Amino acid sequence: MSKWQQHIRTWIGRYFDLPSDVMLDLPRITTIGSIHVYIENHTGLLHFSDQEVRIQYKKGQVRILGKDLGVKMMLKEELLLEGELKSVEFLPDSQGG
Amino acid sequence: MMKNQHDFFQGSITVQVEGPLIEPFLQACTKRGCQITDMKRIGDAVVILTIRLKDWKVLRELRKKYRCKLSIKGGKGVPFIVRHLMRRVSVLLAFVAAIVVIFLLANTLWSIKVDGLSPELKADVEGKLNSYGVSPGKLTIGMKDPNEIQQQLLDDIPDLLWIGVKKQGTSYHLYGVEKIRHDTDKNTRPSNLVASKKGMIIETFIKKGRPMVAVYDVVDKGQILATGQLVEEEDTFVHSDGEVIAETWYRVEQDLPMKQVLMLTDGTVESEYSLKVGKLTIPLWGFWKGKEGNFREETHSSNWSIFGMKIPFHIKTVDHYSIDQKSYESSKEELEDMGLSAARSGLLQELDEEAEIKEEKVLHLSEENGKVKLILLYKVYENIAVTKYISQGD
Repeated sequence: MSKWQQHIRTWIGRYFDLPSDVMLDLPRITTIGSIHVYIENHTGLLHFSDQEVRIQYKKGQVRILGKDLGVKMMLKEELLLEGELKSVEFLPDSQGG
Repeated sequence: MMKNQHDFFQGSITVQVEGPLIEPFLQACTKRGCQITDMKRIGDAVVILTIRLKDWKVLRELRKKYRCKLSIKGGKGVPFIVRHLMRRVSVLLAFVAAIVVIFLLANTLWSIKVDGLSPELKADVEGKLNSYGVSPGKLTIGMKDPNEIQQQLLDDIPDLLWIGVKKQGTSYHLYGVEKIRHDTDKNTRPSNLVASKKGMIIETFIKKGRPMVAVYDVVDKGQILATGQLVEEEDTFVHSDGEVIAETWYRVEQDLPMKQVLMLTDGTVESEYSLKVGKLTIPLWGFWKGKEGNFREETHSSNWSIFGMKIPFHIKTVDHYSIDQKSYESSKEELEDMGLSAARSGLLQELDEEAEIKEEKVLHLSEENGKVKLILLYKVYENIAVTKYISQGD
């Protein structure tokens, strides 16, 4: 059922040229160089320290590694990190949704 | 920019969150609408973050559920500035109040001094000043000008010739000159002048009335010296007035002991202090002292009161002055001198101011049983005329 729904969503997104984060409930991650990370549409902050930040989204986790990381701002579905960014990793759930 | 301003006006606080479930706690907070900024981890389970002041309630509500410990590290923004200012405002208010109090005290009239007037007139002046609202303890603001007070006093008190009103700091200094009234004695009641005591007339000065005596007449007490009946056996009476100086005699007898014992204090004082509570006396200090030898005791008791009410605690002081007894033996001549001067000063006190001691005579001087007996005679010139009203009522 959900797989079918997923297909429909992808198709509608493509057909109407809609941004995929809105259609697919995926996080939109914007980085400004390696100093800022702007994450929208997340569902929860899992872990937070000055080296690693893990964020939950619909289908898995995002792991951001860096140095001197800090949360500049945190709202319900937005997160602005700053610090020295090293990598952004996606760890999708094993079932995939 | 708008956001920053919003935070500034609404106020934001920096909070330290401690606990094992920080991330879920923060997640829950943001779900409830909190805006978390400037979050930094400073320990394994310690995070410092800044929230809006109004979100503090949410954090407090949720902290129990997530077993977090919150502690406020500081605040920023208008609410805190206002609070800070308020604290300063109270200081400022106290300062202003102090200045106002000093100003009021400096503008309060503390004393009025009246000089150069007789006590009756002084009381009159003070009473008048009081009725103008010039009295100690009143504010000088809104009080009349010293010149105005001066004029008003002169108008209101006819007996004042002149009065100077000077303001010296917080006191008024008044200097008055009294009118000396002549011809105020408009007594027209018919009267005689009679002798107040026995004497020999030396001089008569009858201003009004008909003299009845001549110089060197000896008059008895009550004898008429001058009469207000101007013509004999006629009914024209006047108020007689005048002076009749007569020689009068005084006899003074004195018994003076040859040996005198004087009690002299030599200056050593032993003081004893005790606290009096109601009727109970508790010795405090010095109760062991000053009990030997001869001494004179003087007791003082403090009279403390608070707001006009007497308090039952008093400090009683007993001073023991040690006494030296000294006996003086005087010779007959010394005693005579002493007796003379004592008698003279005693007589002068008794007599009028204008009276004059003309002669002093020792009538008798003898020594018996260790005492000197001294009898003195004084010749005095004094005014013996007194007014005696004639009763015409019949």
